[in-house]
Amino acid sequence: MMAFLLSKDKGIESDVVNTKTINAKQRLSIYGDGYGYRLHDALSENYPAVHTLLGDHDFFKIAYEYIDRFPSQHFSLRFLGSKLEEFLNENYSNEPYYAEMARFEWALRKAFDATNQDPLEVKALQEIPIENWGDLQFTFHQSVSRMDLHWNTPQLWAAIDAESDPIPPEKLEYPHAWLTWRHGLINHYRSLDVDEGWALDSAMSGGSFENLCEGICEWIDEEHAPARIAGFLGNWINEGLLVNLKYD
Amino acid sequence: MKYSPLGFGLGLRKEHYHDILDSPSDKQPDIDWFEILTENYLVEGGKPLYFLDQICERYPVVMHGVSMSIGSTDPIDTNYLSQVKQLAGRTNAHWISDHLCFTGLDGVNAHDLLPLPYTEETIKFVANKIKQTQDFLGRRILIENVSSYITYKQSGMTEWEFVTAISEESDSLMLLDINNIFVSAFNHGFDPIEYLDGVPAHRVQQHHLAGHTQYDDYIIDTHDNNVVDGVWNLYAEAVKRFDDVSTMIERDDNIPELSEIMKELQMARDIYAVTKDKSSQVTNQITSKSNDSV
Repeated sequence: MMAFLLSKDKGIESDVVNTKTINAKQRLSIYGDGYGYRLHDALSENYPAVHTLLGDHDFFKIAYEYIDRFPSQHFSLRFLGSKLEEFLNENYSNEPYYAEMARFEWALRKAFDATNQDPLEVKALQEIPIENWGDLQFTFHQSVSRMDLHWNTPQLWAAIDAESDPIPPEKLEYPHAWLTWRHGLINHYRSLDVDEGWALDSAMSGGSFENLCEGICEWIDEEHAPARIAGFLGNWINEGLLVNLKYD
Repeated sequence: MKYSPLGFGLGLRKEHYHDILDSPSDKQPDIDWFEILTENYLVEGGKPLYFLDQICERYPVVMHGVSMSIGSTDPIDTNYLSQVKQLAGRTNAHWISDHLCFTGLDGVNAHDLLPLPYTEETIKFVANKIKQTQDFLGRRILIENVSSYITYKQSGMTEWEFVTAISEESDSLMLLDINNIFVSAFNHGFDPIEYLDGVPAHRVQQHHLAGHTQYDDYIIDTHDNNVVDGVWNLYAEAVKRFDDVSTMIERDDNIPELSEIMKELQMARDIYAVTKDKSSQVTNQITSKSNDSV
């Protein structure tokens, strides 16, 4: 049966009883059709903007190609689309905005049901001894994803989500830093200035407050660095991005 | 020994979260219990678990899964079962059910309820997997009969003989889906009453009632429509035969307002009451109620 569903192997037909009104091939097609439709619909549910960008016809085609290439290996359909970005990059490299939209939507999907973690409160910063600030390291909420986008993908997504007039994909002059995450039960996304994008990347990969202050000097004067980083920290806490601080 | 019956319930669907939870505590929807789709809540956090926790504070809950793949020759997925067990603890689930089928092979999941050949070999194999699963979960589970669209030439017995043998051999309980019996009876040309007569009443814990889509030569179990009169009539026959069974309406697509599904739930209650009280007059009264309520 699985060979029939996955690769249209007709060997199983000889094991299936014909009835007076419907033969084995027709009976099996109920399962064959259902398999494709079910997985197509699950993919569409996780990638509504990719679906809209492609249109029904092309999304249908891509969904079936994807399912052939990456059959589901998880007990939940929730993870069926985990490699769609990779698939679109491989097979639709001339239209890279499809893969970028898949990346953006998968990050939102991750944020939707990521682990619940209590966000840090501002008073946590106030309780840090001044001599330990340099060693300060940061733990981010598991819903947080950082990405550099080459296209107007978030704007495209917003237009599709709001069902407003469609806008065309536009290549940016240079990549823009973006962030997706969940605060409470609500998904969020926003753009980042170049220096905040760098600081976030550094903090998420274990960089200390001192490291951040040194690195940010590529964009601002050394004397203003601590205040700039402290400002970022304040925003990150208010937005629910941080869940823990540590220092030796 | 069966679990204590819960009454008349609904499948919990996200479209109804607010209707259920926003009601004042003294005007909660008159639903005795909810069945949750297990896999929808095997996630780490966010809205699904947020709403589920609140539902569990107000209503009894049972868990209904689609990924146990109890008939597959793949080894038991203990990672999956561990998550199921954890969720059962979180929800205080009264029981856990899944389907008599396989859903995948060699690690690939078809996400469909694929039928098994009705053979002695399959009975022994599946019963053994159910026993192992029950040992892992530390409780008896319910196994549901599925709608099917093919019959294997290797099958050497009726479906009800097959489900009964597995239930007895594994000492599991039955989730007897009335719509699935109706659908399969049409697709395979058997008498659904014979099915009801052929299963052991002491193992029937729960009923599903659902809608389906009728084509010229077959029926597909779509769960996207109201329950049809033929299924209501078959439910009445089930009520005559089985006691202490918890019944629910299962709707998975084309989800209507909660108030609409509540009408179907009331229909189930009425049929139960009428059938238990006046079984000889049941057919006429069902028809009358059906025309009024659905």
